[in-house]
Amino acid sequence: MIELTHVSKSYNRGKVKAVDDLTLTVKPGEIFGFLGPNGAGKTTTIKMIVGLLRPDSGRIAVEGFDVGADGLKAKQVTTFVPDSPAVYERLTGLEYLNFIGDVYGVPKAERLERIGKWLEIFELAPVVTNPIQSYSHGMRQKIVLTAALLPAPRVMVLDEPLVGLDPRAAHQIKEMFREHCDAGKTLFFSTHIMEVAEKLCDRIGIIHKGRLVACGTMAELKAVDRTEAGQSLEEIFLELTDK
Amino acid sequence: MSKLATVVRAGLRSNFGLATIKYRILTEKKDRWLVPLFGLAALGVVPMFYGIVLLIQNVYYVLRPMGQERALLSFGILAGQLLILLFGIYYIIAAFYFARDLDLLIPLPLRPGEVMASKFAVVVINEYLTVAALVLPVIITLGVVAHASVGYWVNAVLVYLALPIIPLALVSLAVVVMMRFINVSRKKDALILVGSLVLIGVSLAVQIALGRSGGGHVGMGAGTGGTQAAAESLAAFFTSPNSLLNKVGAFFPPAIWATKAIAGGFSGEGLANLALLLGVSLVLFAGMIVFAEKLFYRGVIGLGETTGRKRRLSRDEMSRRVAGGRRAFAAIFGREWKIMNRTPIFLLNGVLVSVLLPAMFVLMATIDTGGGSGAGGGPGSGQGGDTMALLKMLMASDPLLVILGAALFMTICGSINGTASSTFSREGAQFWISQVIPVAPREQAAAKFVHSYLAATLGVVTSAIVAGVFLHVKASQLAAGAGLALVAGVALTAVGMIIDLARPLLDWTNPQKAIKQNLNVLLGLMADAGILTAAFFGVKALIRAKLAPNVVLGIVLVGLAALSAVSYIILLRFADRRYREIS
Repeated sequence: MIELTHVSKSYNRGKVKAVDDLTLTVKPGEIFGFLGPNGAGKTTTIKMIVGLLRPDSGRIAVEGFDVGADGLKAKQVTTFVPDSPAVYERLTGLEYLNFIGDVYGVPKAERLERIGKWLEIFELAPVVTNPIQSYSHGMRQKIVLTAALLPAPRVMVLDEPLVGLDPRAAHQIKEMFREHCDAGKTLFFSTHIMEVAEKLCDRIGIIHKGRLVACGTMAELKAVDRTEAGQSLEEIFLELTDK
Repeated sequence: MSKLATVVRAGLRSNFGLATIKYRILTEKKDRWLVPLFGLAALGVVPMFYGIVLLIQNVYYVLRPMGQERALLSFGILAGQLLILLFGIYYIIAAFYFARDLDLLIPLPLRPGEVMASKFAVVVINEYLTVAALVLPVIITLGVVAHASVGYWVNAVLVYLALPIIPLALVSLAVVVMMRFINVSRKKDALILVGSLVLIGVSLAVQIALGRSGGGHVGMGAGTGGTQAAAESLAAFFTSPNSLLNKVGAFFPPAIWATKAIAGGFSGEGLANLALLLGVSLVLFAGMIVFAEKLFYRGVIGLGETTGRKRRLSRDEMSRRVAGGRRAFAAIFGREWKIMNRTPIFLLNGVLVSVLLPAMFVLMATIDTGGGSGAGGGPGSGQGGDTMALLKMLMASDPLLVILGAALFMTICGSINGTASSTFSREGAQFWISQVIPVAPREQAAAKFVHSYLAATLGVVTSAIVAGVFLHVKASQLAAGAGLALVAGVALTAVGMIIDLARPLLDWTNPQKAIKQNLNVLLGLMADAGILTAAFFGVKALIRAKLAPNVVLGIVLVGLAALSAVSYIILLRFADRRYREIS
């Protein structure tokens, strides 16, 4: 579960408000899609959830652990996939996975099983002993995703996870999302792909200029919107953010 | 031409981050504390520069009656240009072929020559900074002491601006041709490492060869023998008919043109030599651009591609290679170790320098009489040289000084590398990983500390070997010196890491910027110099108080241990705070 309570964050000594009084709860077993135009505050929100940024005010809790006060416990149950897969280029894929397994304390048997499974799914098995430096953008994205899945975290936070993936990998990732949440775990991800959000997410939040302008299931979003019925998420999004 | 100016300006802005610095200091007001710190650091190096200026002044007064004062100017300029010529290859390869922004520049509608000119400008500016310490004290001191004319100063500025162009253009031509014809696409790391080591070897070999043939008496003992004695030996060095200066001057004439241009001022000789220097610089620069148009992209395109062999691990292999149960501390140490050793620029500047510095000391100290026949070091002993003789004489005088001197030497050799003061910066764009993993920042800092401290220990060990083998320092004295150096190393390592943690440079695109061009490394060295200077004065006061040698050593040890403990604790606490703040 992820809980954000009156969270605000500004840059440049308060001159630029990136996130403005955001209150949001993502329940266990839920896939939550976070949408918004460029610069709306999505990445800032995500970075605050995973501890990369500190909110100016408000409280963030992951699985009941306060991200500020109990940061290590919150991190122990969370994994993060950033929008650009910057990973240690001089390590091999397997060395990177071992590193992540070590810092999250994943036992060897589970490590072997999960690494084997995800390397096969992502077709990384033949290159796992090569330096990450030699990987393509998509392969780097896949190794970061494999690393994020390795600890089998209670909460996964992903910033634009489908960018750079081929259709097969994107399909597998979406299946993994569902599998993850069906096991009662939480998944929070940002995306610009409306179709994915519409089909995959249990609930969707739309952020605009730092404020949460809409939040709910697809049905709830359609009900809240005043215009004609049968609107797509894209149309709702455009209308809500065209201000 | 305007396009060239634009791309050069963009290259300089991107490399030196002037806009970022301005933004951080004036708008975000983040790095304001750096301004007074730099002021303080500048004050710290004033005594050293004062000593250099005094030495130059004394040499000038010795040379002037002989009409040889220009030789001093030539020497400064020549030293600067040779430095550029030798180490420029390393900078040029890194800037021309391994800068990551090349991927952005090459698809733009720019000519290869324009892209190369932009990279060349960055290296030239860097060289102005590098040779400033070598060239400017000579030019300025001579100008002031000799009450030089306006022509001297005007020409000096023009010569200084042109100084790096000839050596760098020559180097660039060689590198562009080499990279075109050598297929290095799969071995770029090995190329940088081997190339750099070969160059360092060549540079040392040139020094030895010239030192031996020159029969020079450069006066390495300047600090201990007094400036007058050093000035006299330098004068002898300059005026010898078979001097190093004459030999190298003949080998590299631009240094002589530059000297004549400055010394001659607005006279016919001055202007003619200035025109010659600027003209040749321009011609070589133009030649380099012409070559670039034909060869640059052929060498650079595709260089960044790395390929790996595809091989699926068997179940057993996978089981062996998947680790289990390793502690987070060990995992972080292992990561530091691997990344450092697999990145040639990190390895060179962070580790190998600890070995090279003592090696250079041995070479420089043994060549100054050119044949191993100096007093105290008979032929065949392999340890001749005025410096060596002087050091050995000091060794015999006072055991306390031997221990303290050895400790100082080992501490310097251990702390001169940039491992500690670039430890966080080296993570670059990957620092997010350290921030999100469930490992306490203090534990991560501790693992990084052990890694940096190992690099320092390597320097202590190699310098201890040098002191033992070449200076015949007794084992007991070596052990005491090494003990002090190892304790001091804790403080210096922690201080270097604190500096880097305060303002880590994470947005680099070329690994060279993370360590070689990282301001934190310079700040770390300055802090080390400050701590060692304070320790020096403390020890001086203890000796003056006529305390027993063992008491002095005991107090020094306790003092250093206390400083080390405090620095280490501050580092861990600071890590806990800073990891959350860095964004």
